[in-house]
Amino acid sequence: MKRWWVAGLALAALSMASAQTVVRLQGFGGNDTAIISSLVREVVNPALQKDNIRAEYQGVEGDYRAALLNALSAGTAADLFYVDIFWSEPLFASGRVEPLNRYFTQQELSVFNRNLLNAFTLRGNVYGLPKDFNTLAVQFNKDLFDEAKVPYPNQTDTWDTFKDKLKRVQAALKDVAGLCVVADHARFGAFAYATGWRPFNAQGRTVLDANFRRAFEWYTSLVKDGAGKYAQDLGEGWTGGCFGAERAAVAIEGAWIGGFLRDKAPNMRYGTTLIPLDPVTKQRGNFIFTVSWSMNAASRNKEAAAKVLRALTSPEAQNWILSRGLALPSRSALANSPIFQRPGKENELNRVVFQGSTSVGGAVLPFKFGSLDGGEWMRPINEALLAVITGKKSVDQALADAQAELNRLVR
Amino acid sequence: MLRSQRIEALYALLFLAPFLIHLGVFFVFAFVRTLGFSFTDKTLIGQSYQIVGFANFIQLFQDPRFIAALTHSISFMLIVTTLQTFLALSMAAILNQRLRGITFFRTVYYIPSVLSSAAVTVIAIWFFQKTGFLNTFIGWIGSVAPVLLTFVAIFVLAQAVQVAWERIRGLPVALTDPALATISLAVGLALTWLLAALGVVVPREAQPPEFTWLTNSDRFLGVPIPLWSIIMLNTFTTIPTLMLIFLAGLQDIPKSIYEAAAIDGASPLQQFFSVTVPMLRPVTFLVITLSLIGTLQMFDQVALMGDAAPLDSIIVLAYYVYNNVFSGEGRVGLASAAAIILAALTFAIVLLQRALGISEKAH
Repeated sequence: MKRWWVAGLALAALSMASAQTVVRLQGFGGNDTAIISSLVREVVNPALQKDNIRAEYQGVEGDYRAALLNALSAGTAADLFYVDIFWSEPLFASGRVEPLNRYFTQQELSVFNRNLLNAFTLRGNVYGLPKDFNTLAVQFNKDLFDEAKVPYPNQTDTWDTFKDKLKRVQAALKDVAGLCVVADHARFGAFAYATGWRPFNAQGRTVLDANFRRAFEWYTSLVKDGAGKYAQDLGEGWTGGCFGAERAAVAIEGAWIGGFLRDKAPNMRYGTTLIPLDPVTKQRGNFIFTVSWSMNAASRNKEAAAKVLRALTSPEAQNWILSRGLALPSRSALANSPIFQRPGKENELNRVVFQGSTSVGGAVLPFKFGSLDGGEWMRPINEALLAVITGKKSVDQALADAQAELNRLVR
Repeated sequence: MLRSQRIEALYALLFLAPFLIHLGVFFVFAFVRTLGFSFTDKTLIGQSYQIVGFANFIQLFQDPRFIAALTHSISFMLIVTTLQTFLALSMAAILNQRLRGITFFRTVYYIPSVLSSAAVTVIAIWFFQKTGFLNTFIGWIGSVAPVLLTFVAIFVLAQAVQVAWERIRGLPVALTDPALATISLAVGLALTWLLAALGVVVPREAQPPEFTWLTNSDRFLGVPIPLWSIIMLNTFTTIPTLMLIFLAGLQDIPKSIYEAAAIDGASPLQQFFSVTVPMLRPVTFLVITLSLIGTLQMFDQVALMGDAAPLDSIIVLAYYVYNNVFSGEGRVGLASAAAIILAALTFAIVLLQRALGISEKAH
């Protein structure tokens, strides 16, 4: 008899467990796996316990986009997944992503930073809630600037004064570059935006005009004029890598550099300031890098997924992330969080990066390229930067080649 | 068919089943699907598609990037196959000698093929940088060139004097006589050391070349410089496997043939070209076939190079296929057409090699 009781209880437990709805989440691997899994365990799942819903995060190591496109095509994608703004539009237009307007009221959506929400809106439909975001800022190594006896970069710097400071540091400290320059639109583009240049004109075409050329000449002259060294010549692929190894006095990165420096150079004294101003327009430019939580149109748990989505972007969840210095919140209300005002180099970094998205940031555009694939659109510009920085082409030749390639691409 | 024959056939099928299922699912099915998709406008994330006939194939030949990928693949195949076959055979011939400690060298030379291709590529990105190992090494060689050249000059001079002396004495010594070379080596080392110590010959300041291997858009012999870097890398990692196949082939050649050739007065070089090369034909056929297929389908090294080199200077057909599927909306139709062309090209080249090249039978 006792055996029957045990079997009965086990069966009941099993049926209860199976009644629980599991919502699968998919996103980047690396740090995100640890962070989001902790967030889910500590904040999201306790909040959803009453609804008998459980979220599970799976980080994808390697090429996330390829994995997601493959999974969507094969019908095995998770219920909720990250969509990078960088390649979001072709995906939203494909019908594989569920519009969220049915699940969220206008009031619920209005709490998010407008710029961020717009970045994930297509033809009036919201296809994703911004998970968090980043902009670019200038990080500088205080010790290196002190040693070179050069004043720190600050928010009144123009391109010229900024370049002058970099030159002086590089000249004073033989082994240190001012900045390690990358041939990448993801850094250079912020300077081009400051001039008033936009990736697409009113006709939807990309024109590398005089404004673009001015930013291009300034950026590529950094290496030639002794204000910076080409990153790959220093054995690095990003400005943060050179900065962390103290091979460059300045980096131009987002808040993601904070976690990297915490591991790589925990004792480094660094400060953060805004991107320098264009001396002609007196404007600065910046990007908004963001990732959305989007819903799989083929999900069988859409209602439950919407609840998980609400919990993932709730004030509690964003506060949890913010208080650990992991990312910047996408809810406008958290802009006034006291966490931003705390002293310390990482809080300063977060504060300045957050400011980068506001009017202080100047011409701030989302890091997106319409219906085009961002990688393909940027390639001609990146290759033009590379050719000029490494002295393979003249500015005229490089821009003419890039324009020809863009004309082929953006018809 | 007899009952026993039927049972035998059934057993054969049973044993072959795992392979046949694998072949069916991963090759035949995939190939047929790819062939089907190549005539459609299917995208990876689109939900419907239409048959477009040969439009994809026409579009491919109008795409400059595809033409670049095609020419890169063909040049890569020709250069790497030639280089690695020649070098693998030479290395196998050397490692086939009966020398003390040869097993050690065989192991050492085989190491590159054990290394993961991904790891080697990541190291290569650093190796080929402007301030990387290769340029630094070239700079170092340049700086010690005066010392090295002095040593070589003294060595040659010492050897020439000794040989001349011996010949005057009526002894028929060869120019490369090992005993005299040992003395020349000692003389060369001692004199070079003395000249260096006296400050007559000193190394110059190292000036590493400013040459960029990966970010260079220039061409050498019509092939972009970054692709040459991948050619070097690929040759380095694939030689050992081919060398091993050649080594097995070499050890299969009966020693009696060499003995007969030696008795007939054949020199080692004549033995190599008149015995080794003809006897190795089936092995050479295998090596070249493997090499042609491998080089035409090379993908990993280009993919891992990533942004370290401009895409248009390293793109090959296999990467073109991948790049089209996993960018934008995922052009599966177009990529399938490119994959079919790659498959057809591989097949055609192997058939051509079979028709014109080295036969499968030893002579």
